[in-house]
Amino acid sequence: MGARTAKALGFIFVSLLALLWLVPIIMMLVVSLMPPDQRAPRFGGLLISGVSVQNYVTVFLDAPILQHFINSFAITIPSVVLVVLISSLAAFALARLTFFARDLWFYLLITTLMLPIPTLVVPIFQINKALGLLDSYLGLILPYTALGVPFAIVIFRSFFAGFLRELEEAAILDGCTPFGIYWRIMMPVSWSAVAVVIIWQFMTSWNEFILALVTMNSVETKPLTLVPLVYSGQFMMRPGPMFAILTLITLPVIVVYYLMQRFMVSGLTAGAVRG
Amino acid sequence: MVPALVLFVVFVLYPIFYIFAASLYDWDGINQAVYVGVQNYIEMLTDDRAFSVAIRNSVYWTFLTIFPQMILGFVLASILTAGIPFQNVFRVIFFMPAIISPVVLGIIWQRIYAPFGGLLADLAWETGARFLMQPYLSDPKIAIFSTIAVNVWQWTGFSMLMYVAGLNGLPGEVLSAAQVDGAGSLQRTRYIVLPMLRHVHQTLILLGVIGTLQTFALVYMLTKGGPNHATEMLPTYIFQKAFTLQSMGYASAVAVALLVIALSASIFQVRVLGSRFTIGG
Repeated sequence: MGARTAKALGFIFVSLLALLWLVPIIMMLVVSLMPPDQRAPRFGGLLISGVSVQNYVTVFLDAPILQHFINSFAITIPSVVLVVLISSLAAFALARLTFFARDLWFYLLITTLMLPIPTLVVPIFQINKALGLLDSYLGLILPYTALGVPFAIVIFRSFFAGFLRELEEAAILDGCTPFGIYWRIMMPVSWSAVAVVIIWQFMTSWNEFILALVTMNSVETKPLTLVPLVYSGQFMMRPGPMFAILTLITLPVIVVYYLMQRFMVSGLTAGAVRG
Repeated sequence: MVPALVLFVVFVLYPIFYIFAASLYDWDGINQAVYVGVQNYIEMLTDDRAFSVAIRNSVYWTFLTIFPQMILGFVLASILTAGIPFQNVFRVIFFMPAIISPVVLGIIWQRIYAPFGGLLADLAWETGARFLMQPYLSDPKIAIFSTIAVNVWQWTGFSMLMYVAGLNGLPGEVLSAAQVDGAGSLQRTRYIVLPMLRHVHQTLILLGVIGTLQTFALVYMLTKGGPNHATEMLPTYIFQKAFTLQSMGYASAVAVALLVIALSASIFQVRVLGSRFTIGG
Protein backbone atom coordinates (compact mmCIF):
# COMPACT_ATOMS: atom_id res chain seq x y z
CA MET A 1 0.00 0.00 0.00
CA GLY A 2 1.57 3.27 -1.08
CA ALA A 3 1.73 6.35 1.09
CA ARG A 4 -0.80 8.04 -1.18
CA THR A 5 -3.43 5.32 -0.75
CA ALA A 6 -2.83 5.25 2.98
CA LYS A 7 -3.43 8.98 3.16
CA ALA A 8 -6.59 8.69 1.06
CA LEU A 9 -7.95 5.92 3.28
CA GLY A 10 -7.05 7.92 6.39
CA PHE A 11 -8.84 10.94 4.96
CA ILE A 12 -12.01 8.93 4.27
CA PHE A 13 -11.90 7.39 7.74
CA VAL A 14 -11.56 10.69 9.60
CA SER A 15 -14.17 12.35 7.36
CA LEU A 16 -16.79 9.73 8.17
CA LEU A 17 -15.92 9.71 11.85
CA ALA A 18 -15.95 13.51 11.98
CA LEU A 19 -19.47 13.55 10.54
CA LEU A 20 -20.61 11.09 13.18
CA TRP A 21 -18.81 13.11 15.86
CA LEU A 22 -20.62 16.27 14.85
CA VAL A 23 -24.15 14.81 14.99
CA PRO A 24 -24.94 15.88 18.60
CA ILE A 25 -23.55 19.38 18.03
CA ILE A 26 -25.44 19.80 14.75
CA MET A 27 -28.54 18.56 16.56
CA MET A 28 -28.13 21.30 19.17
CA LEU A 29 -27.98 23.99 16.47
CA VAL A 30 -30.78 22.55 14.34
CA VAL A 31 -33.26 22.12 17.21
CA SER A 32 -32.49 25.65 18.40
CA LEU A 33 -33.49 26.93 14.94
CA MET A 34 -36.71 24.90 14.83
CA PRO A 35 -39.86 26.90 14.01
CA PRO A 36 -42.02 27.25 17.15
CA ASP A 37 -45.10 25.77 15.47
CA GLN A 38 -43.34 22.45 14.89
CA ARG A 39 -44.22 20.43 17.98
CA ALA A 40 -42.40 17.13 17.55
CA PRO A 41 -39.08 17.27 15.74
CA ARG A 42 -38.21 13.99 14.04
CA PHE A 43 -34.91 12.13 14.45
CA GLY A 44 -34.36 13.78 17.81
CA GLY A 45 -34.57 17.10 16.01
CA LEU A 46 -32.29 16.57 13.02
CA LEU A 47 -35.22 17.09 10.64
CA ILE A 48 -37.05 20.38 11.01
CA SER A 49 -39.71 21.94 8.82
CA GLY A 50 -38.05 25.34 8.47
CA VAL A 51 -35.54 27.71 10.02
CA SER A 52 -36.45 30.39 12.55
CA VAL A 53 -34.70 32.45 15.20
CA GLN A 54 -37.92 32.68 17.19
CA ASN A 55 -36.56 30.39 19.94
CA TYR A 56 -33.72 32.82 20.66
CA VAL A 57 -36.20 35.69 20.86
CA THR A 58 -38.37 33.63 23.23
CA VAL A 59 -35.43 32.84 25.47
CA PHE A 60 -34.40 36.47 25.80
CA LEU A 61 -37.98 37.64 26.38
CA ASP A 62 -39.21 34.89 28.73
CA ALA A 63 -36.08 34.36 30.77
CA PRO A 64 -33.41 36.75 32.14
CA ILE A 65 -30.75 35.11 29.97
CA LEU A 66 -28.73 38.32 29.78
CA GLN A 67 -28.47 38.34 33.57
CA HIS A 68 -27.20 34.76 33.55
CA PHE A 69 -24.63 35.70 30.93
CA ILE A 70 -23.44 38.55 33.11
CA ASN A 71 -23.25 36.19 36.09
CA SER A 72 -21.15 33.68 34.17
CA PHE A 73 -18.74 36.37 32.98
CA ALA A 74 -18.62 38.00 36.43
CA ILE A 75 -17.50 34.67 37.88
CA THR A 76 -15.27 33.42 35.05
CA ILE A 77 -13.24 36.50 34.12
CA PRO A 78 -12.01 37.36 37.65
CA SER A 79 -11.07 33.73 38.23
CA VAL A 80 -9.08 33.62 34.96
CA VAL A 81 -7.26 36.89 35.76
CA LEU A 82 -6.52 35.81 39.33
CA VAL A 83 -5.26 32.38 38.26
CA VAL A 84 -2.91 33.84 35.63
CA LEU A 85 -1.48 36.42 38.03
CA ILE A 86 -1.25 34.30 41.16
CA SER A 87 0.06 31.16 39.53
CA SER A 88 2.64 32.84 37.30
CA LEU A 89 4.03 34.72 40.30
CA ALA A 90 3.98 31.56 42.41
CA ALA A 91 5.63 29.54 39.65
CA PHE A 92 8.31 32.21 39.34
CA ALA A 93 8.90 32.05 43.09
CA LEU A 94 9.03 28.25 42.98
CA ALA A 95 11.43 28.22 40.04
CA ARG A 96 13.76 31.03 41.08
CA LEU A 97 13.48 32.17 44.68
CA THR A 98 14.22 30.22 47.83
CA PHE A 99 11.94 30.34 50.84
CA PHE A 100 10.78 28.26 53.76
CA ALA A 101 9.69 24.69 52.90
CA ARG A 102 9.52 25.55 49.21
CA ASP A 103 9.48 22.02 47.84
CA LEU A 104 6.97 20.82 50.42
CA TRP A 105 4.54 23.57 49.35
CA PHE A 106 5.03 22.61 45.73
CA TYR A 107 4.21 18.95 46.36
CA LEU A 108 1.18 19.88 48.45
CA LEU A 109 -0.07 22.10 45.64
CA ILE A 110 0.48 19.35 43.07
CA THR A 111 -1.51 16.93 45.19
CA THR A 112 -4.51 19.20 44.62
CA LEU A 113 -4.44 18.18 40.96
CA MET A 114 -5.36 14.67 42.03
CA LEU A 115 -8.20 15.82 44.23
CA PRO A 116 -11.70 15.24 42.87
CA ILE A 117 -13.69 18.47 43.37
CA PRO A 118 -16.78 16.63 44.70
CA THR A 119 -14.82 15.64 47.82
CA LEU A 120 -14.69 19.34 48.68
CA VAL A 121 -18.28 20.25 47.92
CA VAL A 122 -19.62 19.85 51.46
CA PRO A 123 -16.85 21.84 53.22
CA ILE A 124 -16.78 24.57 50.56
CA PHE A 125 -20.53 24.94 50.94
CA GLN A 126 -20.11 25.27 54.73
CA ILE A 127 -17.19 27.73 54.37
CA ASN A 128 -19.20 29.91 51.99
CA LYS A 129 -22.13 29.75 54.39
CA ALA A 130 -19.93 30.80 57.31
CA LEU A 131 -18.35 33.64 55.31
CA GLY A 132 -21.74 34.79 53.99
CA LEU A 133 -20.65 34.05 50.41
CA LEU A 134 -23.63 31.94 49.36
CA ASP A 135 -25.36 33.58 46.39
CA SER A 136 -22.37 35.84 45.80
CA TYR A 137 -19.92 35.78 42.89
CA LEU A 138 -17.00 35.63 45.30
CA GLY A 139 -18.33 32.35 46.67
CA LEU A 140 -17.39 30.75 43.35
CA ILE A 141 -14.51 32.98 42.20
CA LEU A 142 -12.36 32.09 45.23
CA PRO A 143 -12.71 28.29 45.10
CA TYR A 144 -12.37 28.25 41.29
CA THR A 145 -9.16 30.24 41.63
CA ALA A 146 -7.86 28.02 44.43
CA LEU A 147 -8.58 24.88 42.42
CA GLY A 148 -7.21 26.31 39.16
CA VAL A 149 -3.90 27.60 40.50
CA PRO A 150 -2.05 24.24 40.88
CA PHE A 151 -2.50 23.18 37.24
CA ALA A 152 -1.47 26.65 36.08
CA ILE A 153 1.62 26.56 38.30
CA VAL A 154 2.71 23.29 36.70
CA ILE A 155 2.41 24.86 33.23
CA PHE A 156 4.19 28.10 34.12
CA ARG A 157 6.91 26.39 36.13
CA SER A 158 7.97 24.23 33.18
CA PHE A 159 8.16 27.32 30.98
CA PHE A 160 10.20 29.29 33.49
CA ALA A 161 12.48 26.35 34.32
CA GLY A 162 13.56 26.08 30.69
CA PHE A 163 14.46 29.74 30.59
CA LEU A 164 18.00 30.90 29.93
CA ARG A 165 19.77 31.72 33.19
CA GLU A 166 22.38 33.83 31.38
CA LEU A 167 19.72 36.25 30.24
CA GLU A 168 18.52 36.71 33.80
CA GLU A 169 22.03 37.12 35.15
CA ALA A 170 22.63 39.81 32.55
CA ALA A 171 19.42 41.48 33.66
CA ILE A 172 20.47 41.35 37.32
CA LEU A 173 23.81 42.94 36.40
CA ASP A 174 21.85 45.70 34.71
CA GLY A 175 20.06 46.31 37.99
CA CYS A 176 16.83 44.42 37.34
CA THR A 177 14.81 43.36 40.42
CA PRO A 178 13.30 39.85 40.69
CA PHE A 179 9.92 41.35 39.91
CA GLY A 180 11.42 43.06 36.89
CA ILE A 181 12.73 39.70 35.65
CA TYR A 182 9.29 38.20 36.09
CA TRP A 183 7.40 41.06 34.51
CA ARG A 184 9.75 42.28 31.76
CA ILE A 185 11.56 39.11 30.72
CA MET A 186 9.65 35.97 31.59
CA MET A 187 6.01 36.92 31.08
CA PRO A 188 6.44 38.47 27.61
CA VAL A 189 7.90 35.24 26.20
CA SER A 190 5.49 32.90 27.97
CA TRP A 191 2.48 33.72 25.85
CA SER A 192 1.70 30.16 24.88
CA ALA A 193 1.72 29.13 28.56
CA VAL A 194 -0.60 32.03 29.35
CA ALA A 195 -2.88 30.94 26.50
CA VAL A 196 -3.09 27.36 27.75
CA VAL A 197 -3.89 28.60 31.25
CA ILE A 198 -6.52 31.05 29.98
CA ILE A 199 -8.30 28.41 27.86
CA TRP A 200 -8.19 25.86 30.64
CA GLN A 201 -9.37 28.17 33.40
CA PHE A 202 -12.05 29.78 31.25
CA MET A 203 -13.43 26.38 30.26
CA THR A 204 -13.41 24.91 33.75
CA SER A 205 -14.91 27.99 35.42
CA TRP A 206 -17.50 28.53 32.70
CA ASN A 207 -18.57 24.88 32.67
CA GLU A 208 -18.24 24.12 36.40
CA PHE A 209 -21.41 22.68 37.78
CA ILE A 210 -21.40 21.02 41.20
CA LEU A 211 -20.04 23.94 43.25
CA ALA A 212 -22.29 26.37 41.40
CA LEU A 213 -25.25 24.12 42.06
CA VAL A 214 -24.79 24.24 45.84
CA THR A 215 -23.57 27.85 46.09
CA MET A 216 -26.08 29.75 43.98
CA ASN A 217 -29.61 29.32 45.24
CA SER A 218 -31.38 32.43 44.01
CA VAL A 219 -32.16 32.60 40.31
CA GLU A 220 -30.63 36.09 39.90
CA THR A 221 -27.10 34.92 40.70
CA LYS A 222 -27.05 31.59 38.85
CA PRO A 223 -24.47 31.22 36.08
CA LEU A 224 -25.42 29.79 32.69
CA THR A 225 -24.59 26.16 33.51
CA LEU A 226 -27.49 26.08 35.96
CA VAL A 227 -29.94 27.66 33.54
CA PRO A 228 -31.10 24.40 31.89
CA LEU A 229 -32.15 23.14 35.32
CA VAL A 230 -33.94 26.36 36.23
CA TYR A 231 -36.02 26.40 33.08
CA SER A 232 -36.36 22.67 32.52
CA GLY A 233 -39.93 22.86 33.81
CA GLN A 234 -40.87 25.91 31.78
CA PHE A 235 -39.32 24.65 28.53
CA MET A 236 -39.79 20.92 29.14
CA MET A 237 -42.25 20.41 26.33
CA ARG A 238 -40.50 22.88 24.04
CA PRO A 239 -37.06 21.65 22.98
CA GLY A 240 -36.56 24.71 20.74
CA PRO A 241 -36.00 27.34 23.45
CA MET A 242 -34.09 24.84 25.60
CA PHE A 243 -31.65 24.09 22.79
CA ALA A 244 -31.32 27.80 22.06
CA ILE A 245 -30.15 28.16 25.67
CA LEU A 246 -27.70 25.28 25.21
CA THR A 247 -26.27 26.95 22.10
CA LEU A 248 -25.92 30.26 23.94
CA ILE A 249 -24.06 28.55 26.81
CA THR A 250 -21.68 26.92 24.35
CA LEU A 251 -20.85 29.87 22.07
CA PRO A 252 -18.46 31.76 24.41
CA VAL A 253 -16.26 28.71 25.10
CA ILE A 254 -16.05 28.00 21.38
CA VAL A 255 -15.06 31.61 20.67
CA VAL A 256 -12.35 31.58 23.37
CA TYR A 257 -11.06 28.22 22.17
CA TYR A 258 -11.01 29.40 18.56
CA LEU A 259 -9.10 32.58 19.43
CA MET A 260 -6.55 30.75 21.57
CA GLN A 261 -6.24 27.35 19.91
CA ARG A 262 -3.19 28.12 17.77
CA PHE A 263 -1.25 28.56 21.01
CA MET A 264 -2.70 25.42 22.53
CA VAL A 265 -0.84 22.73 20.55
CA SER A 266 2.45 24.63 20.69
CA GLY A 267 2.02 25.15 24.44
CA LEU A 268 1.30 21.48 24.99
CA THR A 269 4.16 20.46 22.71
CA ALA A 270 6.66 22.65 24.57
CA GLY A 271 5.56 20.96 27.79
CA ALA A 272 5.76 17.50 26.28
CA VAL A 273 9.29 18.01 24.97
CA ARG A 274 10.58 19.28 28.28
CA GLY A 275 8.80 16.59 30.23
CA MET B 1 3.20 33.09 46.41
CA VAL B 2 1.31 34.21 49.50
CA PRO B 3 -2.13 34.57 47.84
CA ALA B 4 -1.70 31.13 46.28
CA LEU B 5 -1.00 29.63 49.69
CA VAL B 6 -3.84 31.45 51.45
CA LEU B 7 -6.39 30.28 48.90
CA PHE B 8 -4.89 26.80 49.00
CA VAL B 9 -5.14 26.60 52.78
CA VAL B 10 -8.71 27.95 52.97
CA PHE B 11 -10.28 26.10 50.05
CA VAL B 12 -8.23 22.91 49.81
CA LEU B 13 -6.30 22.06 52.96
CA TYR B 14 -8.94 23.06 55.49
CA PRO B 15 -11.78 21.26 53.60
CA ILE B 16 -9.74 18.05 53.66
CA PHE B 17 -9.44 18.17 57.45
CA TYR B 18 -13.05 19.20 57.58
CA ILE B 19 -14.44 16.12 55.83
CA PHE B 20 -12.36 13.83 58.02
CA ALA B 21 -13.82 15.48 61.12
CA ALA B 22 -17.39 15.74 59.79
CA SER B 23 -17.40 12.08 58.74
CA LEU B 24 -17.45 11.10 62.43
CA TYR B 25 -20.75 12.85 63.09
CA ASP B 26 -24.40 12.36 62.34
CA TRP B 27 -25.29 15.81 61.11
CA ASP B 28 -28.07 17.32 58.99
CA GLY B 29 -26.21 20.61 58.46
CA ILE B 30 -28.63 22.58 60.65
CA ASN B 31 -29.07 21.01 64.06
CA GLN B 32 -26.36 20.10 66.55
CA ALA B 33 -24.14 17.32 65.18
CA VAL B 34 -24.02 14.06 67.12
CA TYR B 35 -20.69 12.25 67.48
CA VAL B 36 -21.03 8.68 66.20
CA GLY B 37 -17.39 7.61 65.78
CA VAL B 38 -16.79 5.35 62.80
CA GLN B 39 -20.47 4.39 62.51
CA ASN B 40 -20.81 6.11 59.12
CA TYR B 41 -17.89 4.12 57.76
CA ILE B 42 -19.22 0.83 59.08
CA GLU B 43 -22.57 1.43 57.46
CA MET B 44 -20.99 2.57 54.20
CA LEU B 45 -18.71 -0.45 53.88
CA THR B 46 -21.06 -3.17 55.09
CA ASP B 47 -24.62 -2.13 54.43
CA ASP B 48 -24.83 0.30 51.55
CA ARG B 49 -25.71 -1.09 48.15
CA ALA B 50 -25.57 2.33 46.45
CA PHE B 51 -21.99 2.80 47.65
CA SER B 52 -20.84 -0.55 46.29
CA VAL B 53 -22.63 0.07 42.99
CA ALA B 54 -20.85 3.43 42.76
CA ILE B 55 -17.50 1.71 43.32
CA ARG B 56 -18.29 -0.93 40.68
CA ASN B 57 -19.40 1.78 38.23
CA SER B 58 -16.17 3.69 38.82
CA VAL B 59 -14.20 0.60 37.83
CA TYR B 60 -16.27 0.15 34.65
CA TRP B 61 -15.95 3.82 33.90
CA THR B 62 -12.17 3.86 34.37
CA PHE B 63 -11.47 0.99 31.98
CA LEU B 64 -14.20 1.66 29.43
CA THR B 65 -13.33 5.31 28.98
CA ILE B 66 -9.56 5.47 29.27
CA PHE B 67 -8.53 2.71 26.85
CA PRO B 68 -11.04 3.35 24.02
CA GLN B 69 -10.18 7.06 24.23
CA MET B 70 -6.45 6.37 24.09
CA ILE B 71 -6.66 3.94 21.17
CA LEU B 72 -9.02 6.04 19.08
CA GLY B 73 -7.17 9.22 20.07
CA PHE B 74 -3.85 7.76 18.95
CA VAL B 75 -5.26 6.52 15.63
CA LEU B 76 -6.77 9.93 14.94
CA ALA B 77 -3.59 11.74 15.95
CA SER B 78 -1.50 9.53 13.65
CA ILE B 79 -3.77 10.27 10.70
CA LEU B 80 -4.04 13.96 11.55
CA THR B 81 -0.27 14.50 11.69
CA ALA B 82 0.35 12.78 8.34
CA GLY B 83 -0.42 15.86 6.27
CA ILE B 84 -3.91 15.08 4.97
CA PRO B 85 -6.11 17.95 3.72
CA PHE B 86 -8.03 19.99 6.33
CA GLN B 87 -6.24 18.30 9.23
CA ASN B 88 -6.58 21.37 11.46
CA VAL B 89 -10.33 21.46 10.79
CA PHE B 90 -10.60 17.80 11.77
CA ARG B 91 -8.62 18.39 14.96
CA VAL B 92 -11.00 21.19 15.96
CA ILE B 93 -14.06 19.00 15.22
CA PHE B 94 -12.86 16.09 17.33
CA PHE B 95 -11.76 18.31 20.19
CA MET B 96 -14.94 20.38 20.26
CA PRO B 97 -17.01 18.16 22.61
CA ALA B 98 -14.26 18.44 25.23
CA ILE B 99 -14.83 22.16 25.67
CA ILE B 100 -18.63 21.98 25.91
CA SER B 101 -20.29 21.82 29.31
CA PRO B 102 -21.37 18.29 30.34
CA VAL B 103 -24.69 19.87 31.34
CA VAL B 104 -25.31 20.85 27.72
CA LEU B 105 -24.12 17.50 26.42
CA GLY B 106 -26.31 15.64 28.89
CA ILE B 107 -29.46 17.33 27.60
CA ILE B 108 -28.50 16.78 23.95
CA TRP B 109 -27.80 13.08 24.55
CA GLN B 110 -31.08 12.68 26.36
CA ARG B 111 -32.72 13.51 23.05
CA ILE B 112 -30.50 11.06 21.25
CA TYR B 113 -31.37 8.26 23.66
CA ALA B 114 -35.03 9.20 24.23
CA PRO B 115 -37.41 6.27 23.65
CA PHE B 116 -40.01 8.49 21.94
CA GLY B 117 -38.85 10.92 19.28
CA GLY B 118 -35.21 10.31 20.12
CA LEU B 119 -32.64 10.16 17.36
CA LEU B 120 -31.76 6.47 17.79
CA ALA B 121 -35.37 5.37 18.28
CA ASP B 122 -36.52 7.22 15.15
CA LEU B 123 -33.60 5.85 13.21
CA ALA B 124 -34.55 2.33 14.29
CA TRP B 125 -38.15 2.94 13.32
CA GLU B 126 -37.40 4.38 9.87
CA THR B 127 -34.64 2.03 8.79
CA GLY B 128 -35.86 -1.15 10.43
CA ALA B 129 -32.62 -1.46 12.37
CA ARG B 130 -34.54 -2.55 15.44
CA PHE B 131 -31.46 -3.22 17.56
CA LEU B 132 -31.02 0.55 17.80
CA MET B 133 -34.21 0.74 19.81
CA GLN B 134 -33.10 0.17 23.39
CA PRO B 135 -34.12 1.58 26.76
CA TYR B 136 -30.72 3.28 26.83
CA LEU B 137 -31.14 5.23 30.05
CA SER B 138 -34.02 3.42 31.76
CA ASP B 139 -32.67 -0.14 31.80
CA PRO B 140 -30.45 -0.52 34.89
CA LYS B 141 -28.30 -3.03 33.01
CA ILE B 142 -27.30 -0.75 30.15
CA ALA B 143 -27.76 2.78 31.54
CA ILE B 144 -24.20 2.98 32.86
CA PHE B 145 -22.78 1.95 29.48
CA SER B 146 -24.91 4.53 27.64
CA THR B 147 -23.52 7.15 30.00
CA ILE B 148 -19.94 5.97 29.51
CA ALA B 149 -20.39 6.16 25.71
CA VAL B 150 -21.15 9.88 25.97
CA ASN B 151 -18.02 10.37 28.03
CA VAL B 152 -15.88 8.56 25.43
CA TRP B 153 -17.39 10.73 22.71
CA GLN B 154 -16.62 13.85 24.74
CA TRP B 155 -12.99 13.14 25.66
CA THR B 156 -11.49 11.24 22.69
CA GLY B 157 -10.56 14.56 21.10
CA PHE B 158 -8.54 15.50 24.17
CA SER B 159 -6.52 12.26 23.92
CA MET B 160 -6.06 13.00 20.23
CA LEU B 161 -4.72 16.48 20.97
CA MET B 162 -2.27 15.17 23.56
CA TYR B 163 -0.99 12.59 21.06
CA VAL B 164 -0.73 15.23 18.33
CA ALA B 165 1.41 17.32 20.67
CA GLY B 166 3.47 14.23 21.56
CA LEU B 167 3.94 13.20 17.92
CA ASN B 168 4.96 16.74 16.95
CA GLY B 169 7.56 16.64 19.71
CA LEU B 170 9.21 13.43 18.49
CA PRO B 171 12.68 13.96 17.03
CA GLY B 172 12.39 13.53 13.26
CA GLU B 173 15.92 12.06 12.92
CA VAL B 174 15.02 8.92 14.84
CA LEU B 175 12.05 8.21 12.60
CA SER B 176 13.90 8.81 9.36
CA ALA B 177 16.82 6.71 10.62
CA ALA B 178 14.39 3.85 11.25
CA GLN B 179 12.96 4.31 7.79
CA VAL B 180 16.44 4.11 6.26
CA ASP B 181 17.00 0.92 8.22
CA GLY B 182 13.96 -0.52 6.48
CA ALA B 183 11.40 -0.41 9.27
CA GLY B 184 7.84 -0.37 7.90
CA SER B 185 5.32 2.12 9.22
CA LEU B 186 3.64 -0.44 11.51
CA GLN B 187 7.00 -1.50 12.91
CA ARG B 188 7.98 2.11 13.45
CA THR B 189 4.74 2.70 15.33
CA ARG B 190 5.10 -0.43 17.44
CA TYR B 191 8.78 -0.23 18.37
CA ILE B 192 9.61 3.47 18.22
CA VAL B 193 6.62 5.80 18.29
CA LEU B 194 4.52 4.11 20.98
CA PRO B 195 7.41 3.64 23.44
CA MET B 196 8.58 7.21 22.88
CA LEU B 197 5.11 8.49 23.68
CA ARG B 198 5.18 6.69 27.02
CA HIS B 199 4.75 9.89 29.02
CA VAL B 200 1.65 10.81 26.99
CA HIS B 201 0.08 7.40 27.75
CA GLN B 202 0.84 7.87 31.44
CA THR B 203 -0.55 11.39 31.56
CA LEU B 204 -3.76 10.26 29.85
CA ILE B 205 -4.24 7.39 32.28
CA LEU B 206 -3.61 9.69 35.24
CA LEU B 207 -6.04 12.32 33.94
CA GLY B 208 -8.54 9.59 33.04
CA VAL B 209 -8.62 8.20 36.56
CA ILE B 210 -9.02 11.66 38.08
CA GLY B 211 -11.70 12.50 35.50
CA THR B 212 -13.59 9.33 36.35
CA LEU B 213 -13.51 10.06 40.04
CA GLN B 214 -14.96 13.53 39.56
CA THR B 215 -17.70 12.61 37.13
CA PHE B 216 -20.80 14.44 38.23
CA ALA B 217 -22.57 16.79 35.81
CA LEU B 218 -22.98 14.32 32.95
CA VAL B 219 -24.50 11.61 35.13
CA TYR B 220 -26.60 14.13 37.04
CA MET B 221 -28.12 15.48 33.82
CA LEU B 222 -28.62 12.11 32.12
CA THR B 223 -29.92 9.89 34.91
CA LYS B 224 -29.39 11.58 38.31
CA GLY B 225 -27.59 8.33 39.23
CA GLY B 226 -30.67 6.21 38.60
CA PRO B 227 -32.60 4.14 37.81
CA ASN B 228 -32.34 2.84 41.36
CA HIS B 229 -28.65 3.83 41.74
CA ALA B 230 -27.71 1.90 38.56
CA THR B 231 -25.56 4.78 37.26
CA GLU B 232 -24.48 6.07 40.67
CA MET B 233 -20.94 7.45 40.87
CA LEU B 234 -19.26 8.55 44.10
CA PRO B 235 -19.76 12.29 43.40
CA THR B 236 -23.46 11.90 42.59
CA TYR B 237 -23.86 9.86 45.75
CA ILE B 238 -22.08 12.49 47.87
CA PHE B 239 -24.33 15.15 46.40
CA GLN B 240 -27.49 13.16 47.00
CA LYS B 241 -26.56 12.34 50.60
CA ALA B 242 -25.46 15.86 51.46
CA PHE B 243 -27.93 18.07 49.66
CA THR B 244 -31.00 15.96 48.97
CA LEU B 245 -31.06 13.80 52.11
CA GLN B 246 -29.25 16.32 54.34
CA SER B 247 -26.80 13.77 55.78
CA MET B 248 -23.69 15.92 55.81
CA GLY B 249 -21.80 13.52 58.06
CA TYR B 250 -22.46 10.44 55.94
CA ALA B 251 -21.69 12.40 52.77
CA SER B 252 -18.37 13.41 54.32
CA ALA B 253 -17.55 9.75 54.98
CA VAL B 254 -18.21 8.99 51.30
CA ALA B 255 -16.06 12.01 50.40
CA VAL B 256 -13.23 10.62 52.55
CA ALA B 257 -13.54 7.31 50.71
CA LEU B 258 -13.35 9.14 47.38
CA LEU B 259 -10.35 11.13 48.57
CA VAL B 260 -8.52 8.03 49.74
CA ILE B 261 -9.24 6.23 46.45
CA ALA B 262 -8.13 9.23 44.39
CA LEU B 263 -4.92 9.80 46.29
CA SER B 264 -3.92 6.14 46.46
CA ALA B 265 -4.64 5.69 42.74
CA SER B 266 -2.50 8.73 41.98
CA ILE B 267 0.32 7.71 44.30
CA PHE B 268 0.26 4.21 42.82
CA GLN B 269 0.57 5.62 39.32
CA VAL B 270 3.22 8.18 40.13
CA ARG B 271 5.34 5.86 42.28
CA VAL B 272 4.85 2.49 40.59
CA LEU B 273 4.14 3.42 36.99
CA GLY B 274 6.26 6.56 37.01
CA SER B 275 3.54 8.84 35.63
CA ARG B 276 3.91 12.57 35.74
CA PHE B 277 1.88 15.57 34.76
CA THR B 278 3.75 16.14 31.55
CA ILE B 279 1.26 18.62 30.17
CA GLY B 280 3.54 21.14 31.77
CA GLY B 281 6.64 19.17 32.54
